[in-house]
Amino acid sequence: MVIVRWRHCKIAVAVLLMGLVGAIFFKPCWAEDGTGAFCLIPDGLDLSNPTCGPESPIVLAQAETKTSSDFESDSGWGDESVVPAEMEEEKVRGISDPLEPINRIFFAFNDKLYFWLLKPVAKGYSKVVPEPARVGVRNFFSNLLTPIRLVNCLLQGKFKSAGTETLRFIINSTVGFLGFQDVAKQEGHLERQEEDLGQSLGVYGLGPGIYINWPIFGPSSFRDTVGMFGDFFLDPINYAVTRTKYNMAVKGYDKVNKTSLTLGDYESLKKAALDPYVAVRDAYFQYRRNLIKK
Amino acid sequence: MKKYSVLIGIAVVVIGLFWAYLVYAGEPIEQIKKTTDKIIDIVKDPALKAPEKEPERRKLIRAAVDEIFDWDEMAKRTLGRHWRKRTEEEKKQFIYLFGKLLERTYLDKVEGYSGEKVIYVGDRVEGNYALVKVKINTKQETEIRVLYRMRKKDRKWMVYDISIEGVSLINNYRTQFNNILVRSSYKKLIEKLKAKVGQ
Repeated sequence: MVIVRWRHCKIAVAVLLMGLVGAIFFKPCWAEDGTGAFCLIPDGLDLSNPTCGPESPIVLAQAETKTSSDFESDSGWGDESVVPAEMEEEKVRGISDPLEPINRIFFAFNDKLYFWLLKPVAKGYSKVVPEPARVGVRNFFSNLLTPIRLVNCLLQGKFKSAGTETLRFIINSTVGFLGFQDVAKQEGHLERQEEDLGQSLGVYGLGPGIYINWPIFGPSSFRDTVGMFGDFFLDPINYAVTRTKYNMAVKGYDKVNKTSLTLGDYESLKKAALDPYVAVRDAYFQYRRNLIKK
Repeated sequence: MKKYSVLIGIAVVVIGLFWAYLVYAGEPIEQIKKTTDKIIDIVKDPALKAPEKEPERRKLIRAAVDEIFDWDEMAKRTLGRHWRKRTEEEKKQFIYLFGKLLERTYLDKVEGYSGEKVIYVGDRVEGNYALVKVKINTKQETEIRVLYRMRKKDRKWMVYDISIEGVSLINNYRTQFNNILVRSSYKKLIEKLKAKVGQ
């Protein structure tokens, strides 16, 4: 039974309106020149340690510096300091992991969960449902999660991104057949803005805290776990499908569908790693740090 | 007199070209594009598609990768501060094993190529170092951001790190190696590496 209460709608309408204001008053991402007076995008926090290159800044200034025009058009590639830190000074930066023994048990549990349950189910599913349809389902669920991304764009003061998310939602929900097609990206170059509460907290200056490898949910940190709980209240599925049983079924289906599109990724990560647990932990730490900086 | 001026003209052109050859190492982004195109051609080559051609195909890919990958620098950076403590012999062995490990992983990924679009976004050069940004558009409508870190070595731009979606390969291996080195020993690390590459 789908129960949509008015108070939920009010929040949604308010958020949508704020996003629209963002879209109108601040230049959205697709604007040709992204440096208008109203573009308020904080750079995010640089959580990395200052790195000292082998050359002093004075020498560097004299060195030839060339940047091709499109280089700075987009972000999200990670640390963009060209000259690396001196090898001896490259510290092993990471996330603190006092729960490692428990985390490793859950890691092993998730590993088995993947190989024994998730992978076979996703494989069978992918044999029945063709790939374009599965991409559509993934887009549909992603479109539903717009409130999480939109609210967190606003929480981080990224009004331009909030505008993008709002436009994406409007375009994809209508022209894109309830979000199954990502028309906004294909036709309008409106990219999805990957934001969540964990990142917002990171932008506010909160460090990741300790590493937590949750059973089922996988790699996380203290900060991102708090974020996950917060985002739970912005997930429309949790309001539309309130019976735990059905809610879990919907979420499970989303997970199987997503897995069917990324089969083999985890396997190759495991194959490449000397210690898969440490490899995943470090990748998670680097990945999140990059998202927050973005 | 006319004969001499022609000779001088030729000499000037030759010297000029030689000078340009010395100074110009090519743009980093062009190097990446050249190698990527070469590898895609190998993977797509119908003559090399058959399963029994696999060793040949892999050899060709490895040769193309070797041209642009600075294995020494990569290996060095993954060991970080532990590098200095190693003997020449150990360093050589480590570089070899690390190269093998990456080869296995990288070749697997490359062989799974199925028409993904590669977009060369741009590059930035600061002295002898450079960054190259590349976007890969998969068939599942996802975008993968790849950042190549390069260094000029003997007038050639060589890759010493790859970041995928902000996750640096070298940093990831450094964390893993450091973890093993701190908890056990270098010997143990080599044992694990050997077991991994199947030797």
